[in-house]
Amino acid sequence: MAAGGAGRWFLLPGLAFLFTIDLIPLVYSAWVSFYNWWLIRPRDVRFVGLDNYVRLGVDPEFNRAVVVTTLFTAGAVALEFLAGLGLALLFAQPFRFLRPIRVLLLLPLFVVPVVGATMWRVIFHPEVGVLNHYLTTFGLGHPPWLSDPTWALVSITLVDAWRTIPFMFLVIYAGLEVLPAELFEAAAVDGASAWQSFRHITVPLLTYIMLLAVLIRGMDAFREFDIIFVLTGGGPGTATQTIQILNYRAFGLGHMGQANAIGIVTLVLVAVMCFVLMRAILRPRGAAQA
Amino acid sequence: MKPTPLRATLTGVALLPVLAWTLFPIYWITTASFKTELALYAKPPQWLFTPIVDNYTRVLTNIPFVQYLKNSLVIALGTTIGSLVLGTLAGYGFARFRFRGSEAVRFLVLVTRMAPRMVLVVPYYLMMQRLGLLDTYTGLLVAYVSFALPFSIWLLIGFFVDVPLDVEEAAMIDGCSRLGVLVRIVIPIAAPGLVVAAIFAFLVSWNEFLFALILSGVEAKTLPVVIAGLNTDAGPLYGEMSAAAVMVMLPNIVMTLVLQRYLVKGLTLGAVKG
Repeated sequence: MAAGGAGRWFLLPGLAFLFTIDLIPLVYSAWVSFYNWWLIRPRDVRFVGLDNYVRLGVDPEFNRAVVVTTLFTAGAVALEFLAGLGLALLFAQPFRFLRPIRVLLLLPLFVVPVVGATMWRVIFHPEVGVLNHYLTTFGLGHPPWLSDPTWALVSITLVDAWRTIPFMFLVIYAGLEVLPAELFEAAAVDGASAWQSFRHITVPLLTYIMLLAVLIRGMDAFREFDIIFVLTGGGPGTATQTIQILNYRAFGLGHMGQANAIGIVTLVLVAVMCFVLMRAILRPRGAAQA
Repeated sequence: MKPTPLRATLTGVALLPVLAWTLFPIYWITTASFKTELALYAKPPQWLFTPIVDNYTRVLTNIPFVQYLKNSLVIALGTTIGSLVLGTLAGYGFARFRFRGSEAVRFLVLVTRMAPRMVLVVPYYLMMQRLGLLDTYTGLLVAYVSFALPFSIWLLIGFFVDVPLDVEEAAMIDGCSRLGVLVRIVIPIAAPGLVVAAIFAFLVSWNEFLFALILSGVEAKTLPVVIAGLNTDAGPLYGEMSAAAVMVMLPNIVMTLVLQRYLVKGLTLGAVKG
């Protein structure tokens, strides 16, 4: 580990850029969140301190949205992580047609999110949707994909997983590719089973990359908007009404102070979630990675 | 290791459902682009049909698709290059240099990615307006690099810390500068990480909708805005939307085919012995 001096020239360009571009809008947004500012009444802009936040805290609709968002995030990320890890491990061993299949698996990433979600709405359609047509044909029932509260949450989770399992797969797979092969060969020579190699070589060496994939996906799922908006618009009822849907509505109604307060609360919730997860996973190993 | 017949079979059994699940919607979008709207809703679903190209001709003649394609490409390539250069430098900086509070700064990098974009778009709009950068490539490019950069930095830290220090030190003893070490030794070893960072930076820009909608007027409009425009008040024009989506997908496939040959293992092999 080298001393600090030269490091700043590597760090400065990126950090200066990032913090200028992102922190200025954030500070502005935090500042607006302390005001009562309704676009319809431009003359009546008042500083109200923490009122917007207090109102969110006691609003049952907002609290419910936090629960829905957390459920969606946890479900989607767990599913995506397990599937992505499984695929990455599968692709780490060479097999025929690996390269073309690898490209095919990445395709959902390339579909513009709004279009992907619109197509899924057609596929899920109870009357003309192709999914229920075949499920019924094979006698597997007729799930009300988007019209039942529980199924709607399942549906948006499935569509999110469809879109982003390739992300998890690609990140973890690239991480596996740079692990030194000698370690696995040595372990095999010493008679380690596949599970032992995985548990004692892959997992410790890949902890950082896997954690990063989960964090990035976690923060994106928590802020997911496009897919949910297109598929259910937050319904039926409030079943899939996430924080972002409420945020969108607040902006739509012109409640600038309230909308920005929702944004700041989202940021804080995501930051706490990431921080706790990082502590829980990195600390026990003594921060050996990175 | 040579794949045994048993393992090949198991791989196939595991992959088939995943592939079906992944590809079916893509297949559906692709065929929808060659179908009339009536055929799309046909019951039972039509697997064999007479393809039509009307959707494509309508998209290509009714909207200046090629112009928007160029906008999307320029901005996405710019985003990729910008976030790779800044991300590589900063990633290497974090991976190799410790200073007081470096962990906190690193976390702050991630925090810039946590705010909902919806909240950032208004102040960002005001900022770009002040700078005269509304409806320009630069305005969108700067936003997208800032979206892609935190992930690039964090990802590349993970790949750079695993590069064996001995190799770097050996090169420096032989007279290589820090930057030379980064370019000639670290980057080739960490190539898979850079490929992943490049693909995702490109996609951040390529698929982004909200900022493109708010910040671009006529000049810098990108494809997602155009496609979303096909979701009209009278309902989505599924055929045209699918046709546009297929055309938008193609450059990504080409890019991935080009990049994926760098997604290989083995460069670390034998770099450090003993």
